[in-house]
Amino acid sequence: MKLGLVIDLDTCVGCHACATACKEWNASSRVSGSLSDYEPFGAEPSGVWFNRVRHYEVGEYPQPKTINFPMSCLHCEDADCVSVCPTGASYKREDGIVLVDQDKCMGCNLCAWACPYGARELDAATGTMKKCTLCVDRIYDTMLAPEDRQPACVLACPTHARLFGDLDDPDSEVSQVTAERGGFGLLSELGYRPVNRYLPPRQPKAVLSDEDARALLDRGLASLASPLIRR
Amino acid sequence: MKPAFSIVFFTVSSGAGLGLLALIALADLFAPDAFVPRAEWRGALLGLVLVAAGLASSVLHLAKPGNAWRSFARFRSSWLSREAVFAAALFPIAGIYIALVAAQTGGGWRAFFAIATSLTAWAVLFCTSMIYASLKPIRQWRTAWTPVNYVLLGHWSGALFLAAIAAAYAGAPPFLLAGFLLGLGALATKLAYWHSTGERGAAAGKAPTLERAIGVDKGVHGAGAMTAARARLLDVGHSHGTFLTDEFGFVLARRHARVLRGAALLLGFALPLAWLAAGASRWQLGVAAAACGMIGLLAERWLFFAEARHTVRLYHGDPRT
Repeated sequence: MKLGLVIDLDTCVGCHACATACKEWNASSRVSGSLSDYEPFGAEPSGVWFNRVRHYEVGEYPQPKTINFPMSCLHCEDADCVSVCPTGASYKREDGIVLVDQDKCMGCNLCAWACPYGARELDAATGTMKKCTLCVDRIYDTMLAPEDRQPACVLACPTHARLFGDLDDPDSEVSQVTAERGGFGLLSELGYRPVNRYLPPRQPKAVLSDEDARALLDRGLASLASPLIRR
Repeated sequence: MKPAFSIVFFTVSSGAGLGLLALIALADLFAPDAFVPRAEWRGALLGLVLVAAGLASSVLHLAKPGNAWRSFARFRSSWLSREAVFAAALFPIAGIYIALVAAQTGGGWRAFFAIATSLTAWAVLFCTSMIYASLKPIRQWRTAWTPVNYVLLGHWSGALFLAAIAAAYAGAPPFLLAGFLLGLGALATKLAYWHSTGERGAAAGKAPTLERAIGVDKGVHGAGAMTAARARLLDVGHSHGTFLTDEFGFVLARRHARVLRGAALLLGFALPLAWLAAGASRWQLGVAAAACGMIGLLAERWLFFAEARHTVRLYHGDPRT
């Protein structure tokens, strides 16, 4: 079993709803303890997040493309964060989820150094490492309706850009959409074999090519000029 | 990487202590009459104190030091766990060895503990270096030069302490040429490290890019791929610092790097080498040379951290590491 997320970079609008829903659910999680905020109402608010959304621009005018890029733990198959951990606090479960045992962690930061994706953040208030739990305290909760047994980020996404499932099962929705859309893992050359997949943005429609721009400019000048000429 | 002083001091201090212990044990085995006994056991004791000071400093780096005892748990996979196990083993082994040397007895057991002390010291030194050399996301550390540097620099600073102590108890110390060559070797491999990891070094060509990190290095995929294009960060998504920017966002100004490299070369190598070349006379000068060497290595180690650029910086907008 390889539980993980598939994130559609084509439909993500970068609204941060996944990140805030994650923070809301996990702030009182029994799995990870609290998610501390530092000076939440001060001049420089900061704190621990499992999920962060960054925004990039690819390409140059007139064909730039904005890519909104949510990142959380990719639950790697060869997770170096687990093997470098000296205390045994970091572990990988049978279902693929990578977790930190908050009672064993000594806060040495080595797992965060070993993660190229920035998935782990030290909680200065508890002195322990925090990371995405894939909402392990939601997805197996039989008290919830079946459609609600998904990570909070997936449920919150307004554009359905996030999917949750078993990437080991070729018939699952996540595996099929990954195959169909050419989903990719991040920085595969490092050999971590991340489970989460990103669906690439589709070919953007050109806003203006150089030729279009010239043609439009000509027509624009003509249409500006014509009323004057007619008068 | 943020250069945390607790870790910088730890690696320099215990590196020197481990080198000092290993050198004394080796001298005891292969050249038993080279050092006077007082210099030998006091030197070894100083070595153990330097290791203890380093380890104490490393505990300060932990956010939850109460769980430090658990770090022996993952010997099979974690270099940090291996370092902790060997460091803990060093104290009883080196303690017995120092007692035997101080009592001027031992015979076969003394030889056994001399071998065990140097092997354990080397194991700790190597494990420390591999903690850094094994990290795939940090290109500047993931090179064979990292363990070579750590082992040679530990022995070089240990040799300076040994020479200073020998000068204090018996005038001119032995093995001056060997010490001088050790210093030159450590210097050469440090220069090789700087060359290979620097902007124009061999490893720099393999530095991953922001385009690669977000998966657009072969263009934006989909129906009719867009040609490969440059990417840039529009917005990092947080308004102030995070753990990631604190830990990995450290930026070293180029002119500061130049000054610190100069300090590392002058204090860590040139001045101590000059003392050795001048015959290593006057123990006061020896203490000054050892202290000067340690300050130089602190600058070198600070740079080791400050110049290392973690892969996560790509996601924060660095075009390449």
